[in-house]
Amino acid sequence: MTVAEIATLSAPAEKVRSRLAGTAFGSRVEIRDLDLPTLEVSPADWPGLARHLRDDPQSGFDLFLDLAGVDNLKRRGTTTRFEAVVHLLALSRTEHLRVKVLLPDAESPKLPSVADIWPAANWFEREAYDLFGFDFPGHPNLRRLLCHDAFVGHALRKDYAPGQRWFCAEEDMRMPAWAMQPEEAGHFETQTLSVGPSHPATHGIIHLVARLDAEKIIRAETQIGYLHRCFEKMSETHTWNQVIPFTDRLNYVSAMINGVGFVRVVEKMLGVEIPDRGVLVRTILSEFSRIMDHCVCIGANLVDIGALTNFWYLYQPREGIYGLLEACCGARLTVSYVRVGGLAIDVPDDFVARCQALLESIPKFLDDVDRLVTNNRIVRNRLQGTGVVSREQAIAWGMTGPMLRSSGVPYDVRRAHPYDFYDRFDWDVPVAQDGDNFARYLVRMEEMRQSLKIIRQALEIFPEKGPVNSSDWHVTLPPKDAVYHDMESLIYHFKLIMEGIRVPAGERYEWIEGANGELGFYAISTGGGGPYRLKVRPPCFPNMAAFEKIIVGGTISDAIATLGMLNIIAGELDR
Amino acid sequence: MSGVIDVSARNPPRMTLAQRLYLPAILGGLRVTIRHFLRNLVHIKKLPTILYPEQKRDYSGRFRGKHILKTREDGTLKCVACYMCQQACPAECITIVAGEHPKISYEKYPVVFDIDMLRCVFCGFCVDACPKDAIWMTRDYEMTFFNRQEAVFGIDKLIERPGEQVKDGYGYRPYYPGDGTIPPTDASAGPVIPGDGERAKLREECLLPVYRPSAPQLMNG
Repeated sequence: MTVAEIATLSAPAEKVRSRLAGTAFGSRVEIRDLDLPTLEVSPADWPGLARHLRDDPQSGFDLFLDLAGVDNLKRRGTTTRFEAVVHLLALSRTEHLRVKVLLPDAESPKLPSVADIWPAANWFEREAYDLFGFDFPGHPNLRRLLCHDAFVGHALRKDYAPGQRWFCAEEDMRMPAWAMQPEEAGHFETQTLSVGPSHPATHGIIHLVARLDAEKIIRAETQIGYLHRCFEKMSETHTWNQVIPFTDRLNYVSAMINGVGFVRVVEKMLGVEIPDRGVLVRTILSEFSRIMDHCVCIGANLVDIGALTNFWYLYQPREGIYGLLEACCGARLTVSYVRVGGLAIDVPDDFVARCQALLESIPKFLDDVDRLVTNNRIVRNRLQGTGVVSREQAIAWGMTGPMLRSSGVPYDVRRAHPYDFYDRFDWDVPVAQDGDNFARYLVRMEEMRQSLKIIRQALEIFPEKGPVNSSDWHVTLPPKDAVYHDMESLIYHFKLIMEGIRVPAGERYEWIEGANGELGFYAISTGGGGPYRLKVRPPCFPNMAAFEKIIVGGTISDAIATLGMLNIIAGELDR
Repeated sequence: MSGVIDVSARNPPRMTLAQRLYLPAILGGLRVTIRHFLRNLVHIKKLPTILYPEQKRDYSGRFRGKHILKTREDGTLKCVACYMCQQACPAECITIVAGEHPKISYEKYPVVFDIDMLRCVFCGFCVDACPKDAIWMTRDYEMTFFNRQEAVFGIDKLIERPGEQVKDGYGYRPYYPGDGTIPPTDASAGPVIPGDGERAKLREECLLPVYRPSAPQLMNG
């Protein structure tokens, strides 16, 4: 079906079709009506279509969200072995679009790079090159990103057997080529400084290579992947529910949000409805997790720039929230609390009281930090005007979340596409205009207060009693009492554990507001008990990709302050 | 729903005179820290820090720590070696080898039940998966090993010994006191009938290493 021929489409797909109908791509692009309007395009047409989608005022897809490679080797009903699936966002209309670039050449899949159109595509393309072996002609720096240089093969291809390990010796580790050559600056010899991979200021294992002219950074490159465990390949060999503990380890500072984001995509594919109580528990604990995430970000960043006391004041509410999570699910950090179709277990009886106590105590600590930091001239001098990202840059680099909002774009998924009960709550989206580190600090501080506001309202409508799980026993485990004494329930239990949840074949992209921005999960099911392909859109990945560009022109000490405020979580970055 | 608030308007980038003078903010900060110091001095018993290991945090009854294998009244394992927990484990850390129970009414039992504590992610899926109420978790999180072999806990380390205090108490479990769940009833400890010798022999021969599709193999030396 080409754009010109198609008869009936859903409203969003129809809009996309009518926008394309008059253009050169009208007859060359196929349109499919999936969960999102989906365009199918050949590699030759891709850069032209990309430029059109970005520049055409009616389309205006200015934010590059994600590029997911797909290997169709074991999937029926597809025309080519490889596809590159791109997700785009038009910020002005908060509209998502999927573009599939079908790669006809199964031997050496190739598609032109769009890194010059959306700079955010740079790292996503490197990732697809690394894990799928896609070639991107025209890419400025096509090297492996997540796997090391001694790795052989492409891990996410379906003919790559899981469980192979490749040993990386010291001589296999490569610095960027430019870092190995001496370079003369006007009056001074430049030097190359290597920060990390293991460095207290990198908050995780991240390697920054910077070329310094005296104290000024004139060129930088970050190398990541030290914490890569191929979450996506692991998901393919496990059932849907077994993926949940893996998602805890993506953004481990706010593990709850990842789990909620992941089960959402599965629940949408299944069409399961969760009782209000279950949804509200997820909302409340997600918002508490967001507070925790921001506490860690601000606390650790202030330690980096020398303000240690705030760390203790911000870690105390975090401790309280960990206590609450532990009382609910039995673990503090890696909660594994959500399940497809609900929660692992109902909340304890004193849940509301504990939440109320936290709501009382957290603002006091935030006020203390506010009093210590916000008007302090040293902090202001360190944070104001450093790591500046303009509105246009933030969009081009694919930033979302507090990073985008501190550059003046009020995009918050909870507001733009209200999921759960977010449209019922009264809360504000904090934005700042300056795009510097201080603006990020202010936005995060205000977001914590807004999260408290959301929790307060969620507790007001929180049902005192009721189920937290869907009653569909094809999805959720039957209650233990029934399993022990009733044969029918035991069979359901057995089928769910041994085979996993049967998710109907299809694909879906679902996105929620993670602590660092838009956290998206793109899942493909072939009807089996586990995902055929699962791609996570990690919010801090584009932020980190931009880091090497933000810090150029500043000093190393500013780079450290910027790195802290980007809030890089290596578990999510490297997956 | 509500609007958008501009936080930079509240805190304009240009510093006020008080902010530029530097001292007011420092004094304000000192007030905060001194207040905390005095409050902690007065309520020294309520300090949020814990002097581990002398003092231990009180965890809830849902804490996911070391596993425990529940036993029947006669001291045998409740586990019937159905492999459900092994299948449910996302970390693939459980290894079960089934054997024929001498009491035919119990049919199967685990000859080997190993949990590799270094692989375990303490997600509690095994507890959720068990249809026989045979595996619970405890609040014990202090596990130290000197080598990797020691980290594989067998039945001897996991079994609950009747009459012995469970270290740190029970944690995550399939049901809690007061939620109305009736534990499964055991097959009665019937007469001891020796198992079919032929079947037992066949099972003996099947004691092969468990196939794990994602077990690591080093490919390049």
